[in-house]
Amino acid sequence: MANFRRFRPDDLNKLSKCNLDPFTETYELGFYLQYYAKWPSLFQVAEDQHGNIIGYIMGKLESSPEIYQFSEHYLPWHAHITAVTVAPEARRLGIGKLLTEQLEVAADANDAWFVDLFVRVSNHKAITFYKNMGYSVFRVVKDYYGEHSTDPNLSSEDAYDMRKPMKRDVKRQHVRDDGEKHEVDPSDVW
Amino acid sequence: MSSYRYGRPALKHSVDVQLQTAFSDGNWNTVIRLAAKRAATLKDPYYEAIKMCAEAQLDGTAEKCAALVAIDELVKNKKTPDIDTIELYEWACRDFFDYEVEYADTLGPLRARWAKANPGSPLAVQCVQACLEKWDLVSAQQIATSLDKAYANTADRRYMFWNITLTYLLSISPQCTDASRKVYSLLAVRHLERAADLTENSAKLEATDRGLLTEEEVCLYYRVMHNHGTKEEYVSRLKSPKLGAISQLKEGRKVLFCEALDALETWGEWDLIYNLCREALTLGLEGGTSPFFVCDLQTWRKFVSAASKVADSESALGEVQAILKRYIDIKDTASAMYKKNLSLALLETTFRLPATVLNDSSENSGLLPRVVQIGLFLDQYFERLSAFDDVKGYVAELNFEEIKALMEDVLPKMLDEDANKGRKTVLNALVCRLRYLLSTCPQTLSPQPAAAEGEAQSKPFQCLFCSQPTDLPCEPCLKKLVVDASAAYTQITSDKELVDSIPRLDKDPRLDLALVMGNSLLKLSGLRPRTADASQSLWQSVEPGLFLQAVLLLDTQLNETPGDTELRLLLVQLYLLLGCASYAYRLWTPLDVKRTIQDSLSPLFFDRISTVSPGLFQGGRPLMEPLRTFYKNNLTDKAPVRIWDAFSAGSYTSILDMINHDSSLRRSCTLMMTLVEERRAIRCYGGKIDCEIEQHPLTENIEDGTTLVSKTDYGPFPNLESLHGPPIHEYLRLGPGLSNERSQLAFLSEQYLDLLLYKPPKDYKPAKQAEAALRDREYTLETLSRLSNSLTDFLHQPSTPSRLTPSETSYYSTISLLSAALLIALSTPRADPLPKTLSLLTTSIKSALTTLRTTFPSPTTPPSTNPTPIHSTTPPSLTSLPILSTIRTTALAIRHSAAFVLAAHDRELARDRSGRSGVHRDALAEMRALDAVAGKVLGEVRGWVLRLKEVLGEGGWLDWGLGVVFPEEEGDSVEGGNGEGVVGLGEVGRAVEEVVAGRAGAEEWVGKVVESWREGVKGWGMVKME
Repeated sequence: MANFRRFRPDDLNKLSKCNLDPFTETYELGFYLQYYAKWPSLFQVAEDQHGNIIGYIMGKLESSPEIYQFSEHYLPWHAHITAVTVAPEARRLGIGKLLTEQLEVAADANDAWFVDLFVRVSNHKAITFYKNMGYSVFRVVKDYYGEHSTDPNLSSEDAYDMRKPMKRDVKRQHVRDDGEKHEVDPSDVW
Repeated sequence: MSSYRYGRPALKHSVDVQLQTAFSDGNWNTVIRLAAKRAATLKDPYYEAIKMCAEAQLDGTAEKCAALVAIDELVKNKKTPDIDTIELYEWACRDFFDYEVEYADTLGPLRARWAKANPGSPLAVQCVQACLEKWDLVSAQQIATSLDKAYANTADRRYMFWNITLTYLLSISPQCTDASRKVYSLLAVRHLERAADLTENSAKLEATDRGLLTEEEVCLYYRVMHNHGTKEEYVSRLKSPKLGAISQLKEGRKVLFCEALDALETWGEWDLIYNLCREALTLGLEGGTSPFFVCDLQTWRKFVSAASKVADSESALGEVQAILKRYIDIKDTASAMYKKNLSLALLETTFRLPATVLNDSSENSGLLPRVVQIGLFLDQYFERLSAFDDVKGYVAELNFEEIKALMEDVLPKMLDEDANKGRKTVLNALVCRLRYLLSTCPQTLSPQPAAAEGEAQSKPFQCLFCSQPTDLPCEPCLKKLVVDASAAYTQITSDKELVDSIPRLDKDPRLDLALVMGNSLLKLSGLRPRTADASQSLWQSVEPGLFLQAVLLLDTQLNETPGDTELRLLLVQLYLLLGCASYAYRLWTPLDVKRTIQDSLSPLFFDRISTVSPGLFQGGRPLMEPLRTFYKNNLTDKAPVRIWDAFSAGSYTSILDMINHDSSLRRSCTLMMTLVEERRAIRCYGGKIDCEIEQHPLTENIEDGTTLVSKTDYGPFPNLESLHGPPIHEYLRLGPGLSNERSQLAFLSEQYLDLLLYKPPKDYKPAKQAEAALRDREYTLETLSRLSNSLTDFLHQPSTPSRLTPSETSYYSTISLLSAALLIALSTPRADPLPKTLSLLTTSIKSALTTLRTTFPSPTTPPSTNPTPIHSTTPPSLTSLPILSTIRTTALAIRHSAAFVLAAHDRELARDRSGRSGVHRDALAEMRALDAVAGKVLGEVRGWVLRLKEVLGEGGWLDWGLGVVFPEEEGDSVEGGNGEGVVGLGEVGRAVEEVVAGRAGAEEWVGKVVESWREGVKGWGMVKME
């Protein structure tokens, strides 16, 4: 039912199965193309037998700007998962996991220290998913999201910054066991 | 450097503070004065540049252009200014580059010269960027060549590959002549061949070597080879020990493998595909790659397909089975996705095996092997949302004996054996979907002789399931399916335990059942694809009651499952067909089709929308604004979005793909639809159109020879149809989908209307009126001649008739005839005899309008003796609004054309009192006659709209609607056959009633439909008829 391959710009015409799902954000064209232009190996898709995209992951490789080099929040060379989505009809087949693993392979190939991502603290399903894949909470970014996903009375929601160390981090120096206790402001996240 | 993109450039540090301050404050007059002084004193041309840059900020045209003149001088004199001067000039001229001035003729060459002289400067890289961002490939390539030479054999490999990539881009670019393209193609191939040879012959390649190292570099090589090399070279390199697809796979690089399979498939190289897949899959088993690295369904399909096509297919298929078996042996280590791919590969293999092999293997078991495999697959996966899509292609391939075994043995057995109520309902829903699928397969029917026992047979087939005489699809089977699906549906809704279990399932089985019922009812209603020959109103071409039952039932289901996008999209289309555009829009809006996905999905709502409901355009935010903004944001620059990022990152295949994507987007049928629909709606209400369509920045590169492309995404439709017939979306559209032919005709017609409706600015008073009049006349005749030829060409293309509705064909034909008629009318001197062609043309125009007019089912008042209630005469009109719209636009085009000729004549009379230069007397008479005919038709259109408004304002609509949906007098009589066990329409109606919560639910829904009709007609009431 699925093929895994690198994203191609024509896939943007076949995103409906993923992007008509209300939980998947649709970005500007330049946003997708920026990822494809800069980090093509970190933009992977799963397609069905008719060429419809039924899942994709977008990621990037970066480090914090040089000027923050001596800041405690400085991030060394790492991969970041910007978006991962699977169409409703293709769920429960491990596609999200496979896409994430492919990104991790690309991260290792590019000598990244770790892979990180942000997730709403209320998104227990996603948190469990990532924990099962070896990710752990590195820090809590207070009021990272502008609105709360489940409580309309709240005007913001915290994010977990979750990480998984890559092969380069032999000593696991870029992950921590008590990440839930480390709170930072959104302004500390670059 | 390149600060022009972000703001005012900084002046050199050596410039004095006074001038610096004036420049940064924008005190342009002071800057001009000070810079002139410094230039005179210091004799430094940089100060001249500052002066001109400041002058360009003033209002005077001469001052604005001074920098351009200076650039022109520099280019012509082959001088190389310093980079700061170039920066100043670029900023000064920044507004010119999008329109009047070509970067490639001005700053591009200056930057190229500077970079050639200073290749070691980091600013040279920024010169490439500047040229690329203005899409000046020639200058960018020259700079890249300089950089490549300067940095040869250094660790920064990008320059070499920028050079190669840009050389390749020039070899396929319209920026070069044919001869240059040939040279560039040879150059690109030679560069890459050399790099490939170096890679093959080096024991270990270093970053400083000029070979192919990264995956992007290797793939660039194959892409260029695919386009410019021979197949033999490509294939030979594909097998090579270092750069071959298999060796790349060993390094964890899959892109080449996928691309190579596609290339080989287009060449029909089945032996090579077979070998490549075999090697790649074996590699996974032997540890050369991670085990399931290439275990995509596509690999298996290509492997099986190739095996069935090679010379010794029997042994090749045996090899496929052997490899597949090895994978199945280790499938416990695979993820669910790959397990499923292996199951599908098994199905695929079984279906491609020759009948002899297949039968041999099943001799002992006595079972039908293809059915067994489908059964085994469904046994594992029937609960999955995609189960139906996974098997439907295979089920549709079965012969009737196999179908019978599947439907009467395998699936019932599965149903019996499953004790879980929830799973049973899911399986039952799947069975219903398969029954619907089979109703679209011709192998379930046998042909009947045209006459039997001396009597003519009304139906061409006999259904092998129910033995009834039938067409395709079998109506008795569909009716039974509706009743059975309804029973299954109500069984779920009446069982709380089942309803509670739904959230735990992959998909609500009620949704599947509703889709089966809805599709069956649509087919029973007689709905057929809205192709070019669908000339009747929807209401006249279907059985309205059954059609409305389908929509009602699906609408009811949407209330239960509002998050289901497939169902929502289906309903959007159905309401558009029904003429309920405002209701369709309310369903469309929550889909949140925005930003990037608009190009592929917007046609599903917006195509032809101005012809259904121009009123939708009357509101707060302009209806098409998001689409317009999307194209404006992404196509204003000549360069593809984010192209520099790809160069900068060394993503060479991304560059090629992004350029292709950009080219498609600039030629998008959706883009043309956006412009045309909006213009049509604006004209409906007498609004002002900002600019002529041909002058619109988004149509800049669209010519007759441009092929406009439709990328409409029909993926999200719930398609239960088999490949034996058209997909569901073809039944639901208002007419044929977007196409190059329709888009080009629309583009040309809009240009024609632009010509007719052009009004010169009020303050336009040419000094030499006679000369200006002559120029205008020449322009008009040239334009008419061009449009007439182009319209005729497109209309005469063999593919065109199938791309248009009948009324669209009439409209575009009329515009074509009008342009030819006007050309004759305006170009024939008064003293000459008027060519007879004009009269023939005007007769054809009148005849086209009259024919078009008769295709609209007018909402006339029935005579008092007619028992038909007034309500019944209205829906045919309401479901034919696109025809009404076309009659109006055609009649208006005729009137505008006549007015154009008459106005031209009046202008000539006013200019030349002798009357000798005016329009031919007979031509004027023809135009007046055309105007009169069109005026009369427009009067009729106005009357129809008024009548529709009047009738919709009357009472009794709910009763009428309910009567249509659920006719009380409906019996269960059955046509033909022995009638035993055959379901009648009354039973079908009752089955639908069960699902939609009875007549009360239906009544409320009818109210919504009628209200939407009223809203639509209200919009029509404000449309201008003059």
